[in-house]
Amino acid sequence: MEASKLISFFEEDLCIFHLRSRKKISALTEIVHHLALQKRISDERFILDMLKNRENLGSTGLGNGVAFPHGRSLAIKELTVLFARSAAGVDFEALDGKPTHVFFLILAPSDKGSETYLAILSELIGLIQKPAKLKALNETVDFPSLVGIFEGKDD
Amino acid sequence: MKDEHRLLIALQDLDIMIKEVKDKATSKELEDLGFKLTGLSVLQEARTKLASAVPKTLLNRYEKLAEHYTVAILPVSGSRCLGCFVKLPTSFFSSASRVELQTCENCGRLLYIP
Repeated sequence: MEASKLISFFEEDLCIFHLRSRKKISALTEIVHHLALQKRISDERFILDMLKNRENLGSTGLGNGVAFPHGRSLAIKELTVLFARSAAGVDFEALDGKPTHVFFLILAPSDKGSETYLAILSELIGLIQKPAKLKALNETVDFPSLVGIFEGKDD
Repeated sequence: MKDEHRLLIALQDLDIMIKEVKDKATSKELEDLGFKLTGLSVLQEARTKLASAVPKTLLNRYEKLAEHYTVAILPVSGSRCLGCFVKLPTSFFSSASRVELQTCENCGRLLYIP
């Protein structure tokens, strides 16, 4: 999947450029509430419970300031990707113990296989391996600049 | 929606997650991406607790269906069962159907109107 194709999964309405929460559960709650406000989920509680369970399996905060909360739920109709950024950082219990600044949330419907979100996860994780892209993600404050990161040249 | 139905939906979400972790190909893919999947026992404990709160008859129905289907309970979308995609009868959408869990006459999955 090309980076420019990857951006097609993102929508301006599903970006939070100034996440307020500083702790893991409150950050997930804020993100899920945003999805509900945008009418992308049928029930906040189901999604939040699923994401909490996923974190209990092992933190999705992979380190380098980036987390990838993800999973499948009956409460979501179609593959949904949300971007969130916190300038101050969130204590997301990341694998390297450092604050998390960038979040990519990926939700897939239960009736679809895990491959629907694994491919996107894989591409996003590949993207953040590039230092310039990671730096830009940490600094992005609007949708056009986020699109530019995906469409711009590699390092 | 009744509380017991909400519990069953939460149980289905959890079962899908547990199944993914137990699937060697999926778990390997996640681990290769850098995720540490160390908390399976925590999920299984949560599953036991959740299942114990579901009324036994309903749980038994769900467990039997789960032996055959990855997703045993589904929301209705449009007028079709999302499991087998068969069109549901008009009677399915009566006011009572909106409260009670229904069964797809074709595949037997449990259905609810979100």
